[in-house]
Amino acid sequence: MTASNEALKSLLYATADDLLILGHRNSEWTGLGPLLEEDIAFSSMAQDQMGQSLALYEILQRDLGERDPDTIAFLRPESEYRCCHFVEYPIGSYAFSLMRHFLFDQASYLRFAALAESSFKPLAFVSRKLLGEIKYHIMHGNTWMAQLSRGGEESHARMQSALNEAFPMALGIFEKLEHEEELVDAGVYAGSAQLRDLWLQHIEPALAHGGLALPELNAQEAGTAFFGGRKGFHSEHLGSLIEEMGAVLRSDPSADW
Amino acid sequence: MYGGGYIFDKPLQDHKDDDDPVKLAEFEARIDRGEKVEPHDWMPFEYRRQLIRLIEQHAHSEIIGALPEGTWITRAPGFRRKLALAAKVQDEVGHAQLLYNAAETLGKSREEMINDLISGKSKYSNVFNYPAKTWADTAVIAWLIDAGAIVNQVTNSKGSYAPYCRALERICQEESFHLKYGYDAVVHLATGTPAQREVLQDALNRWWPPIMHFFGPPDNASVHGEKLMRWKVKMASNDDMRQQFLNMYVPKIWELELTLPDPNLRKNPETRRWEYTEPDWDEFKRVINGDGPCNKERLAVRRTAEERGKWVREALLRPETQYSVPLS
Amino acid sequence: MSTIKSLDPRVTRFNIEEDDQSMQPLERRDYFETYEVFHQAKRGGRHTHVGSVHAPSPEMAFLFAKEQYGRRSTSTSIWVVRTSDIHTVGDEHSDMWENVPEKQYREAGFYKVRSRIEQFKKRHNDS
Repeated sequence: MTASNEALKSLLYATADDLLILGHRNSEWTGLGPLLEEDIAFSSMAQDQMGQSLALYEILQRDLGERDPDTIAFLRPESEYRCCHFVEYPIGSYAFSLMRHFLFDQASYLRFAALAESSFKPLAFVSRKLLGEIKYHIMHGNTWMAQLSRGGEESHARMQSALNEAFPMALGIFEKLEHEEELVDAGVYAGSAQLRDLWLQHIEPALAHGGLALPELNAQEAGTAFFGGRKGFHSEHLGSLIEEMGAVLRSDPSADW
Repeated sequence: MYGGGYIFDKPLQDHKDDDDPVKLAEFEARIDRGEKVEPHDWMPFEYRRQLIRLIEQHAHSEIIGALPEGTWITRAPGFRRKLALAAKVQDEVGHAQLLYNAAETLGKSREEMINDLISGKSKYSNVFNYPAKTWADTAVIAWLIDAGAIVNQVTNSKGSYAPYCRALERICQEESFHLKYGYDAVVHLATGTPAQREVLQDALNRWWPPIMHFFGPPDNASVHGEKLMRWKVKMASNDDMRQQFLNMYVPKIWELELTLPDPNLRKNPETRRWEYTEPDWDEFKRVINGDGPCNKERLAVRRTAEERGKWVREALLRPETQYSVPLS
Repeated sequence: MSTIKSLDPRVTRFNIEEDDQSMQPLERRDYFETYEVFHQAKRGGRHTHVGSVHAPSPEMAFLFAKEQYGRRSTSTSIWVVRTSDIHTVGDEHSDMWENVPEKQYREAGFYKVRSRIEQFKKRHNDS
């Protein structure tokens, strides 16, 4: 069987919106980072992530009949976004941004590695192309994680506290998609729960190397505390960011900018 | 991006010019032959001091310049502009890093330079003390401020200090993308809807005085200036650079049927030089000394970034390592 | 204390305290040691020196070098070397690198036989 367009859209919007929003967040570090060299690195990753989201919006337009990438990326109402809450939160401290980058890009790599085998060919093709970029993000994340979590008591404490804050949020990446069964049955997508288990295995060595422990979660945190994004229910932070991202475009959507 | 013309320190009053005359003669002969100076070569005290000031201010301008433009990354209209602007601002931060390293080869550490930036002792290009209020402002900055910076940097890249020249060579390559991107964005606004043209014209009106300020006040020839010219620290007069800029860009602005807020602006067909109303140099001095619309915010942002980054740098620091001045 | 409300939404979100003058000056080596960067643009080519970066470790130096010197064009390889591990001699000895022009016997261009051959041929044909 093949997956319906509705199911494919649900997968593509979730994946693309995560990257679009986190790309915007990461771009905010330009000029504000802890050292110049790292401002440059966060900007590279932000550009990669926005570029990756564009590649997916292009599939939505070309293969699934959605509107052009600029329109769907910047001019949808909030309830039509399918990103998880995790990517919506402001950049916060550098420790939080770095932890988010580490947790998210590990998930992103696994997600694209699985999608590279997808039965939906346009997505498989694009996914294979993006893996090299994300591999570098993982190297960047792991290197920083190792150095900061082993960089003395204060730094270790900050990284542990960033992990405590970010980990339950990160579980929101793996909220079940709309039409997920259909996507899994059609061999388009590996499934959110399966990706989450794989992700837990992958982040474990880097966390252990840095002496960081996953926080004890209460039932709600381990459950659905940061869920809702995949169904269009968002944190308080998304609305204003969407407003900002499309501010100029929305002033005259028919104009050529 | 850098401008501000050549604003050098006054010669030190209490400093005896105790450079070894034999070495000085060798040094000057080397420069006369068109050779470059490398970090470990002997150089006059005043040469080192003025170069540090020049390169340091250039570096500060790049990092502070990333702020007014960085403002618009999240708001840039559409993917094409957003990605290009992110890459452009990223380049500016990269330029800061290259330039700090070039200045370090002269013996002043990055930490000392940043301390002097934050305390206000060291300046940066005046244009960045003005706000980028609309999207059109970023287009004007990317086109015209970067164009001015290229005029300045291409001129400086022919100077005598090799590490600065090498950094500038790389920087100019990247700036040419900025200029093309900025021109493209301006042309889209200029050839777009009446509202787009209006916001562009407004931005141009506001940015014209800072752009005229960009190359610095007219320099009156002094003995001091002559020496810096001879040593190829100062490569052209502020007015010459301003003329070069006007000559290249005013026709392009007029071609788009945009106006500039100076009724006296014209090229004199006889002298082949541009005539214009002198911009308000008192304002220039006021702003450079801290009293511009954005000085406080720019420095507060830089200070906060340094402070909040401190724990990160401390965590990474390994006490057994030794700082070395970069080689070249 | 109130925070800066900026035209820049990022800056507003950064919650910067107004009039906070409390920053301690940076200390020497706040920004680490330096590494020299060598870049190879294509396989088989030379690694050429392109500049330096500040970094706390070779791993970080590698990341920063990739960002600074390899972000626009494809690289096949990047080397980073601690600046302090590079050895050179000081300027006062720079004259020992000079070559005196009298040693042309070591250069290919020194060996010019054509005119001798022409003379030989001419002699041969004349006889």
